[in-house]
Amino acid sequence: MLPPSRSATREPLAATQTADIRALLGAGDEDRVAVAHFLVGALFLVLAGVFQLLALFSLRFAGLSPISYGRAESMANITVMLGFLVLTLSGGIYYVLPRLTGARLWRKELAYLGLLGVSGLVVVDLLAVVFGLGEGRQPLGLPWWLHLPMLAVLTIPFAVTMMTIRRREEKRTFVTLWFVIGGVAWLPLLYLVYTAGNLPFVSSLGAEYSDLFFSAGFVTLWVFTVGSGLFYYTLVKELDIPLASRQLASVGFWSLGFAAAWWGSAQLVFGPGPGWIDGVSAALGLAFLIGALANAANASVTLQGHWEELGDKPGVVSGVVGLYLGVAVAILAAFSAFPSVGSITALTAYWEAIEYVALYGVGVLLAAGVVFEALPRVAGREPATLDRPRSFNRWTVVGVGGVTVSMIGAGLVSGYSWVAGSNSAAYVNAGEGWAAGAGSAEVLMLVAFGFGIVAFIGQLAYAATVIGTVTAGRAVSQEVLVYGPDDSDDGDTDE
Amino acid sequence: MSELSAAAAAALGIPEAIVQRSAAARAEETGMTVDDVLAAWAGGGDIPPPTAPASAEPQAEEEPAAPTDEPAEPVAAPSPTPTAAIETSGAPPVPAASSLPGKPPVLVGEEDNPIAVLVGAVGLLVALFLVGVIGPALPAENPGARTSDLPYTETALHGQEIYQSVGCASCHTQMVRPVVADVGLGAVSLNDTNQVLGSRRFGPDLSNVGARVSSSQIEAIITGLDDHPALSLSSEDLDALVAYMSESATLAETPPGDPSEADPSDEEPAPEGETPTEETTAS
Repeated sequence: MLPPSRSATREPLAATQTADIRALLGAGDEDRVAVAHFLVGALFLVLAGVFQLLALFSLRFAGLSPISYGRAESMANITVMLGFLVLTLSGGIYYVLPRLTGARLWRKELAYLGLLGVSGLVVVDLLAVVFGLGEGRQPLGLPWWLHLPMLAVLTIPFAVTMMTIRRREEKRTFVTLWFVIGGVAWLPLLYLVYTAGNLPFVSSLGAEYSDLFFSAGFVTLWVFTVGSGLFYYTLVKELDIPLASRQLASVGFWSLGFAAAWWGSAQLVFGPGPGWIDGVSAALGLAFLIGALANAANASVTLQGHWEELGDKPGVVSGVVGLYLGVAVAILAAFSAFPSVGSITALTAYWEAIEYVALYGVGVLLAAGVVFEALPRVAGREPATLDRPRSFNRWTVVGVGGVTVSMIGAGLVSGYSWVAGSNSAAYVNAGEGWAAGAGSAEVLMLVAFGFGIVAFIGQLAYAATVIGTVTAGRAVSQEVLVYGPDDSDDGDTDE
Repeated sequence: MSELSAAAAAALGIPEAIVQRSAAARAEETGMTVDDVLAAWAGGGDIPPPTAPASAEPQAEEEPAAPTDEPAEPVAAPSPTPTAAIETSGAPPVPAASSLPGKPPVLVGEEDNPIAVLVGAVGLLVALFLVGVIGPALPAENPGARTSDLPYTETALHGQEIYQSVGCASCHTQMVRPVVADVGLGAVSLNDTNQVLGSRRFGPDLSNVGARVSSSQIEAIITGLDDHPALSLSSEDLDALVAYMSESATLAETPPGDPSEADPSDEEPAPEGETPTEETTAS
């Protein structure tokens, strides 16, 4: 079942490594599509790190920040969600598709168009927010009409994936394909819901629920689903060991799908929705935990007896840590979905922490899990040294972990302060409870900013690893795809 | 052939069809016969490494070349011929671990229908959308909550656009919930479709700010009082935003004191807030 064994049929990227990086991004075989996505995604991650640092700074020093928290956070979200996570995980999909199906990637020019479209629209979206054309609501803060072109380009991974699968040579399905199919189908649908919720005639209540549906859905249905699925492939292929349980992977996949909406609506506990939504969110939000646990457990059992082999595979380490961090995210989200807990944590920095660790922790680590191990196969080069990817793992875990703990602490302090102050009648003035809570949390916000700098160093290490490997890595053997005769005359390849 | 392939399939633990295809590809690459390959797999025999048709052909999966220390000189650098872009040997992909006789390939799946996965995934999301977005967004009675919409003026509605475009809703809610934590913020207000609900409260709730804080205080805060971000707005936009805030008065009470005489510096400073503390209308 893949991967194709070998062929003398094409020029490995390594043979074209020159100082001119444009050579890597031009037309070529489908593996170059993946490389281009990885490279552009790495650049966007660095940009997102800058915006996120600015947002953390704005939370603590609102009066000193050159830009308000609302705009900085929107810019960070646009860049990390669309610029990094969509592009990088799409690149991962384009990497595994030919290997899992035995078919050529369908219309790789379309995949390039998707890369160009998403990249260009991210830049346009950022400018729109900077110049005050946004709508202000998280996560992306964009007006509905700016969502339409993005919605169109987000259908490209779906089209390329499904058409490639339709022509597959390999009729047996490795579990990764489920996650890929689910992810590429869910992403444009999620964005459609988000776009519809931002239409002018939709009430603020509908808009709020669609925003939260998209935020939670993007994490569970795209980041966790596609990231976990791609990592299953990486893990099995890199260590050359069979997956422990196909059934557990199935549980993980469908549970993540089922978990999509609930930890979004749980953030408005006791809010404007009907009473039943609080109970339903609490009960069904446990699916998130089940899905994350199933995938982490599956990887752990698969690795039994092979842990010592991870020493020289920092990419696999990234993926494993990402899965474990995902369990932590699911626990935090499921825990806070219960109304008794939500009455303390709702509306506070607690949820901001969950979204931060989901995007910058789980998302980045799972992406690295695929990218670090895929690069030598698709680019013919490996990192000159493993220090950079190892540094990425260390800085990311410490930095993201620190930000998360600090902001969770800030959220709990705020929430308890609001409740305790009101209960004891200590706060008799409007806003006083909030002010006291915010004052107590100020130190924690400062700590979060400090750890944010550490996380940013990790993001720099990621970008340095990806770009450094492609442009100046050590040349190694490259995986070359082999196809059957039917693939060369379909008329929709460039051969 | 069939006996051999069946034996090899049994030995490798993978379906016979895949074994046959893999054996054909391997035989072509190694110069052996298919039967020899199958016999080797079935009996645990060894297979010689493929003879590279190109002098420096990359052998990614099976025989990684020793890495060099010289990054500028790729070791796997054949001279490709444009006309040989695709190998058309008819050989389907070969299992990853097939270079190790007796070891089953690891990327083994089972036959299932990807379209069924797609249909199930889409159906699941549609169901979640109906229950998780449409359901709660339908108008609902919230016992005890104020249900009327504030009658904002046109200027205030323009101010609401400013409120959204500068990202106020990222830090402020306009939603007072029936929970202890929200006591003192004003009347319980969940259904005002004219307000921007928000889902974070890094600053105080603003659903009732007009009843607590005077217009001049609001303007001072917006322009940078009390560590609030100083928003650089045109005078027209600033007036509109102030109007939106001032008309956000769910209890319809006038702010204490004479707004025209209010001095923001007299207010007790809030660390990051937008509203200096005022006598609550609910206390």
